[in-house]
Amino acid sequence: MQSVREEESSSIDQGPRSCGDNSVWAHVSPLLSAACSDLHEGELIHGDNFNLFAAMSALEIMDPKMDSGMVSTFYSIDEAIESGFAPVPISSDRTVDVQCIIDIMDHLLACEATWHMGHSLAQTVFSCIYVLRPDRTSSHALLHSFCRVIRATCRALVSVLSDARTNEEEDLFTMTYGLPFNGDEDGKGLLLLNAVEETICRQLRACKATSSKRRVLEARRKANDFLFLVCRMMQNWNLYKLIRNWKRAFAKLCYAGYVFHFLHALNCMRRPQGRGLELARKHIAYCIAELESVLSSVEFLSLETVENGKNEMEESTTGSGRHPIGFDPNLNKRLSAPTPPRAIKLLSWKKAIDYYVKLLHNLDQICAFKLEPDLDAVLQFVVQFQKSRPDLVARAHLQLLLVQDGKLYGRDTFLTICARSLALDVTKNHGLHLNEYILQLNQLMINLLKILCANTPWQRRKLGKILNDWSIFNVQMGITVGNMMQQVTTPRTPKNGDKSLLILNHIYGWLEEQIHWVALRFLVLGFDLELYSPSEYCMVYWYMYIILWKLAEKAHFRVLIIVHTEERKAKKKEDYSRDMAREDRISLWVLLLKCQTSLAQGLTVMIAALRNEGMCLKSQGPFNTENEKFVQHFGLLQKASLPKYDAYESFSESTCHARLDYLPVYECFRDAQKMAKEIKVGYANDPDKLAEVVGLEQVAEHNIIAVNLLCQDRSLKVSFEFIHHPHFATAVVRRS
Amino acid sequence: MEQIDAGGSTTVAASTSEDSSLDPIARVRKLLFRQMLVGIKDGRFFLGSFHCIDKQGNIILQDTVEYRSIRRSSPSPTEQRCLGMILIPASCRTSCHVDCSIEEQLSLIQLKE
Repeated sequence: MQSVREEESSSIDQGPRSCGDNSVWAHVSPLLSAACSDLHEGELIHGDNFNLFAAMSALEIMDPKMDSGMVSTFYSIDEAIESGFAPVPISSDRTVDVQCIIDIMDHLLACEATWHMGHSLAQTVFSCIYVLRPDRTSSHALLHSFCRVIRATCRALVSVLSDARTNEEEDLFTMTYGLPFNGDEDGKGLLLLNAVEETICRQLRACKATSSKRRVLEARRKANDFLFLVCRMMQNWNLYKLIRNWKRAFAKLCYAGYVFHFLHALNCMRRPQGRGLELARKHIAYCIAELESVLSSVEFLSLETVENGKNEMEESTTGSGRHPIGFDPNLNKRLSAPTPPRAIKLLSWKKAIDYYVKLLHNLDQICAFKLEPDLDAVLQFVVQFQKSRPDLVARAHLQLLLVQDGKLYGRDTFLTICARSLALDVTKNHGLHLNEYILQLNQLMINLLKILCANTPWQRRKLGKILNDWSIFNVQMGITVGNMMQQVTTPRTPKNGDKSLLILNHIYGWLEEQIHWVALRFLVLGFDLELYSPSEYCMVYWYMYIILWKLAEKAHFRVLIIVHTEERKAKKKEDYSRDMAREDRISLWVLLLKCQTSLAQGLTVMIAALRNEGMCLKSQGPFNTENEKFVQHFGLLQKASLPKYDAYESFSESTCHARLDYLPVYECFRDAQKMAKEIKVGYANDPDKLAEVVGLEQVAEHNIIAVNLLCQDRSLKVSFEFIHHPHFATAVVRRS
Repeated sequence: MEQIDAGGSTTVAASTSEDSSLDPIARVRKLLFRQMLVGIKDGRFFLGSFHCIDKQGNIILQDTVEYRSIRRSSPSPTEQRCLGMILIPASCRTSCHVDCSIEEQLSLIQLKE
């Protein structure tokens, strides 16, 4: 006879309770073991709803890979604190205390960067007990405010990322459940840090200015713990130590300054309609300067840990190479999911700093963007911005800046932007912004801008998908506008309605240009992602040529519209000032497109000729036919009727007869070269554009030479490399 | 035991009186879907509905809640979290209880002899 043991029932009482009043917990272990011994091998006791497949997904308790509840070093944060894992102050020796705080700051920085890279907060920033329990550190002004500001920064970023919804790419980023993320108090951290920084600065200056003992003692009386350290060092007149500690103090100051300005910059960037960008830029400049100072502090910080190998330093998450106090990534492992998270590797301190420098430069780039209400400028900026492969945080900020409240910069409706790119005036046509097509266009534009801010692979996939939406919209709008235009050709229609219709008609034309722009971006991103093999370059350039040609045509048409409208306006009003700069800009852009068109055409013919003459690999693999590859690459474009005819048939027809001595090859490249020379003059003030045009010119030049050589000696080997331009290949000729 | 069972008016009590004549497997089968509380070596408890057991004594519970103490020293407050379906290997199980009425408990005890 056994009853429920008393000690067991006592521990149960604190936790789970039995449900009914009349029920008890009956001890069933002996019964279970009796039943088990009676069972045959492989037999189970289960109910009717048992499903072996579903049962396989049960979490296995005490399996380290499945059971996150397994007790590790500490049962809980409280226990860790009680056992002195994260003491406050860290050491009674002020020097050691400061060293440890700098290590903690270093490590937190590495943690934050690792979080930005897509790992969970619980495993990174919130593995720090000081961050988890900021109340404990309130007696320690610097550490306290630092932790508060780190928390506030994390909160600010989570809010940016959730608003921008770019977190879908890196889904761990915004997961905060279970973490102490409420932080009205955290806001005060900024004030506190500001105060600490000011005090330190003032008193450092004071100490620097005079070494009189009286001043030092006076300062010591007033000072916070940090100042105390500085003063104590001043009393120790050992020069070497003095310099070292000065520098250490300096590093600490830089950090405080860095997090302070970083949070400020983030806050400024979130101001509506980009109003805080100027200020944000100033803060970013401070951040960059201070990170550099932090970096320069590494030499003396690591002086004491010379015994550690150089490699160890490279991997370390702290500048000094020591292990920071108060971090345990296992503390929160039960929070995120029933299963334990995968072990992660934190970025090293050096890599974290590099990451921040890149992030700050990207943010600076965003802040420097002149919020022009011009769609061409926006698109070009985004494309340029994406070239440096910015990380999630920067991209989310760009997206939030571009699209706010369904408007560009939260300021201009897309109807205005769209009309502006056609030099039309829509201020008087009040009904138009309610037009269903305009509303739909608004949505398409918002989606497009958001997608353009995503990472490259995601961006390309989404662009391919939205092409279909755009083309359906284009067809629908075409039918409606076409019908309306036919009706209007009969006289006696109200004048205002006529004007709206005209605008709609122009927008319809502009829409086609946009679709081709998206298609071109889709194709070009394939090069960035290295999706095309050299045997497929021929079809890729052929497709690019088709799209570019159409895009250039549409853009040219738009230039004509703009010039026409502006001329008419100028005739009506004597004092009307034409926006010549914009006209020039678009014309230049059209010329650039034409140059690229010629280059793409030249490359297509050249590669086709090489293929036809057996000098270059044919696009034949053991698995896929050329047609299948064509569909794999361009299926989405064809689905969106770009072009409207059977693309593969047209491609094979147009390339099957190409020969090397075929004249157009030279002509295309020569045209491109000529145009590039003209464009270079126009882009003299824009270094980015200029570099691109120079690249195009070089591609044309080298390819002319290559064709010449190949014509003379057909035994030469040829390969294609992207040495002058990321998307237009240069033929490299070798003798063997 | 017989007297108590006879006195009990609930159907559960009546069925348990029949259980006494059943073999252990049949009686364990009767426990399926009941709330079961399993304690394991590291001091945690799991409360869930009894779903399955195999020859080796591994138990599967459904809709489980984990209870763990916050500190190593007892007594200490507990922390709980939902886990869903879990498998508790026999090797780490230290105790096992089923939620039942007092009458039932007595019948279970009797059958262990």
